[in-house]
Amino acid sequence: MKIRRFRVCLLLFWLLSNLGGLPLPPVVAQPAEDSIQESVGKKTEGGVLLKTSSRMTPIPAPLLNTTVTMTISGLIARTTVSQEFSNPSDEWAEGVYVFPLPDQAAVDHLRMKIGERVIEGHIQERAQAKKTYAAAKVKGQRASLVEQERPNIFTTSVANIAPHAPITIEIEYQEVVQYDQGRFSLRFPMVVGPRYIPGQPQDIPEPSSSQHGLGWAPNTNHVPDASRISPPVQHPSHGPLNPITLRIDLAPGMLLQKIDSPTHPITITKHEANFYQVSLQHSSTYADRDFELIWTPLSQDNPQASVFTEQRDGETFLFMQLMPPTSTSSAQKTMPREVVFVIDTSGSMGGTSLSQAKAALSLALARLTSNDTFNLIQFNSVTHKLYSTARQASRSRIHEAQRYVSGLQATGGTEMLPVLKQALVHMPNHENAYRLRQIIFITDGLVGNEEALFTLLQRKIDDSRFFTVGIGSAPNGHFMRKAAQFGKGTFTYIGSTAEVQEKMNRLFLKLEHPALTNITIQAGESTFDDILPNPLPDLYHGEPLTVAFRTTALPSSITITGKQGDRHWETTQSLIDAKPRRGITVHWARQKISQLMDQQTQENDKALFRQSIVDLALKHHLVSRYTSLVAVDVTPARPDAQPLHTHALKTTVPHGMKYEAIFGWPQTATPATLYLLLGSLLLCLTWIWSRRYLAHR
Amino acid sequence: MPDMDLVTTIPRTPLGHRMAWIVASLLFVFGSWLIGHGVGIHVKAIAAQWLLHHAWQETLTTQQPIKPWPWADTWPVGRLLVPRLGINQIILANASGQSLAFGPGKVGNGSSFDDDSFNLIVSGHRDTHFSFVQDLQLGDLMTFQTIQGDWRRFVAETIEVVDSRIDTLPLKQKRPDLRLITCYPFDAIRPGGPLRYVVTAGPVTPRVVSETGSTTIRSVGAKGRGMIVEGG
Repeated sequence: MKIRRFRVCLLLFWLLSNLGGLPLPPVVAQPAEDSIQESVGKKTEGGVLLKTSSRMTPIPAPLLNTTVTMTISGLIARTTVSQEFSNPSDEWAEGVYVFPLPDQAAVDHLRMKIGERVIEGHIQERAQAKKTYAAAKVKGQRASLVEQERPNIFTTSVANIAPHAPITIEIEYQEVVQYDQGRFSLRFPMVVGPRYIPGQPQDIPEPSSSQHGLGWAPNTNHVPDASRISPPVQHPSHGPLNPITLRIDLAPGMLLQKIDSPTHPITITKHEANFYQVSLQHSSTYADRDFELIWTPLSQDNPQASVFTEQRDGETFLFMQLMPPTSTSSAQKTMPREVVFVIDTSGSMGGTSLSQAKAALSLALARLTSNDTFNLIQFNSVTHKLYSTARQASRSRIHEAQRYVSGLQATGGTEMLPVLKQALVHMPNHENAYRLRQIIFITDGLVGNEEALFTLLQRKIDDSRFFTVGIGSAPNGHFMRKAAQFGKGTFTYIGSTAEVQEKMNRLFLKLEHPALTNITIQAGESTFDDILPNPLPDLYHGEPLTVAFRTTALPSSITITGKQGDRHWETTQSLIDAKPRRGITVHWARQKISQLMDQQTQENDKALFRQSIVDLALKHHLVSRYTSLVAVDVTPARPDAQPLHTHALKTTVPHGMKYEAIFGWPQTATPATLYLLLGSLLLCLTWIWSRRYLAHR
Repeated sequence: MPDMDLVTTIPRTPLGHRMAWIVASLLFVFGSWLIGHGVGIHVKAIAAQWLLHHAWQETLTTQQPIKPWPWADTWPVGRLLVPRLGINQIILANASGQSLAFGPGKVGNGSSFDDDSFNLIVSGHRDTHFSFVQDLQLGDLMTFQTIQGDWRRFVAETIEVVDSRIDTLPLKQKRPDLRLITCYPFDAIRPGGPLRYVVTAGPVTPRVVSETGSTTIRSVGAKGRGMIVEGG
């Protein structure tokens, strides 16, 4: 008896000693270096190498502090983004920061502030601006460069930041606020979400090349500038980066019912009858999600039309926004539809995004009637269809689809081209020819090959209509807007689970009401060219008609016609009492560049469009893909002997997104050993205890 | 021993007696449950590979994703052989937690069904399928069979331990490497540590295209199977 008890104790002791003595993986708080060195010491014979990068103490990168000041007056907003680069190291630094701006921003000013001095930036052709900047950098002069990578991704480079001395870069842009279904809104993106880069990696380009970047993604054959749109991302365990403050002066030009922000807690101060100041409630806000401001006018105070003009070089530029025709008809509700739902289940959708997407999809499925047919496609690295072709939306099929949706998981890449091809395949036959074909595309749009997608959409859209639903805290706004434009549909954003119901209801109104199509604008005798956007888009329920054009002789009125369902629609708008206003020319020029870029995607002769864009952008002092703003302080700052260190500024993981799902290493250990050990321990304890207990009795 | 006091202080009343038995049986049940789970993980890992080998044969003939069992949310995308260690494992389409329980998974880009043209990253559990990774040596030969039936051969070139909080996953490399990733240290008890053991293998010969050498492939496959006792 005693011997056996002794043996059990020995076994227990052995188990416990193993448990304590085995090298447990370090907890997150523990410094990783120690554990690596310890492990390496053991394994050097087996040929284990230690990555040196993880042990070096690098020179700290410049720190960034952003201040955003917006002035919204009526329909036009002007924003100053002030980026303060401070250098915490003892070495001279160059900071390169990749950041987002609204996808329709017209960036027209750059100022570099060094202490009290302000150096104004100039617009130059991109390659020339790069040369100007590089020359100043080498000479030790303080310089800054603002380049556009995508309509919503920009790069600021700042050279020769002295040790412990900040340089502030001010970037100014203009945009038109969004109006939809009775309310105005404005989005300000704060972080470039990690993009999926398809294609095969290419050689690293020369540093002087326009495609050379400092991002985490190598350039590929599909995304030749991938390294420029993939700013390095900080691991969440190192805390958030890039604090941001935001202040908005809002003069809506009408009486408001309410102002609010679905993305951030805000403080609203009312100054006069019609002037508000909005700021972020939390003093420590980090650039990790889009900011959205929504203001709702009192319904009777909403003007039916706004017309503004600006004169420049003998030409008149005009901006007009017409409130949508109110339609009460729901003729389309009875019109049978073929709805194709596409849901993005890539790694970047992991976390809160996927649950928002599922909730949205689930609502949309429940909305189908037995007159409709539908199909459901999920995609990440691969594409999977629920049915081979669209099926009738019977109760049981909708139920089946709901089950499929609830089982979806987010993992892998975002191969969007194949799924787009599949969704756009439409074989009209006698059964489905009369159906209205709608594609609902639910995604965060975080891909780098937008242009290829747009080209495909443009070529294959035919009679289908493409609706994007932008999910998550930092979706790709450029993709959402342009894909909807090329797909002749419209876009919606869902930023949180609380918004799903309301935003989807707004989308359903658009899907189920006839759109205003075939819109034309006539102006009697007068001629005016360049009506933008061109072609005029279809207007969905609640969308206003927003156009810009230029003319040499302003007509007294214009007539707008269109078709809503089977009905003819016509309205005449007087232009006599158009108010003069600054910024209309800039708006027109920005729209024109946008249109030229669109045309360029479908043409082979890219050079032709390139030159028109360059000329236009240089004339209007605008940043574009081919023109950049550059500012140089001619007084040399950095002595020749001192080296310059280049840093790519890191960004924060977008709110709600899982770092591990994108950059993370898979979890590659099971708790099997832990379970076995603990289990045996418990069984032993039980056994000993019961033996002793019985022995005592 | 502390439990000596516990034992002797239990009141010798019928109630105390019953309490003692209840506690003991609870401990027993919980202990057995834990052991069951621990054993279950290993059983699942081995049994799944057996089913996956069948699905893989079908995948090669149909060139379509074949689910190994009806409710599976993953499917085979490749086969990994390490002749020296007698390893023959089916690789799954993704590296999520659910999927890794059944077999090693292709990570990130590599999980694309028809795009095997560049680097492959495969990860597996360090205590089940990928426990062999610790025995890999520089110069070891590995073979990866793609969905098209092609065989790609690699030779182990570097072995590294990296910190997943500092280093980013080498998702895109220009060279068509094979990387095996698993958790480190191998003998740790608790899962979820930040260190990863990475074996990088460079390509040995250019890709063999199936159309040109279907007979070669069959013979290699047969040879491979003949050598291997049982993987997984």
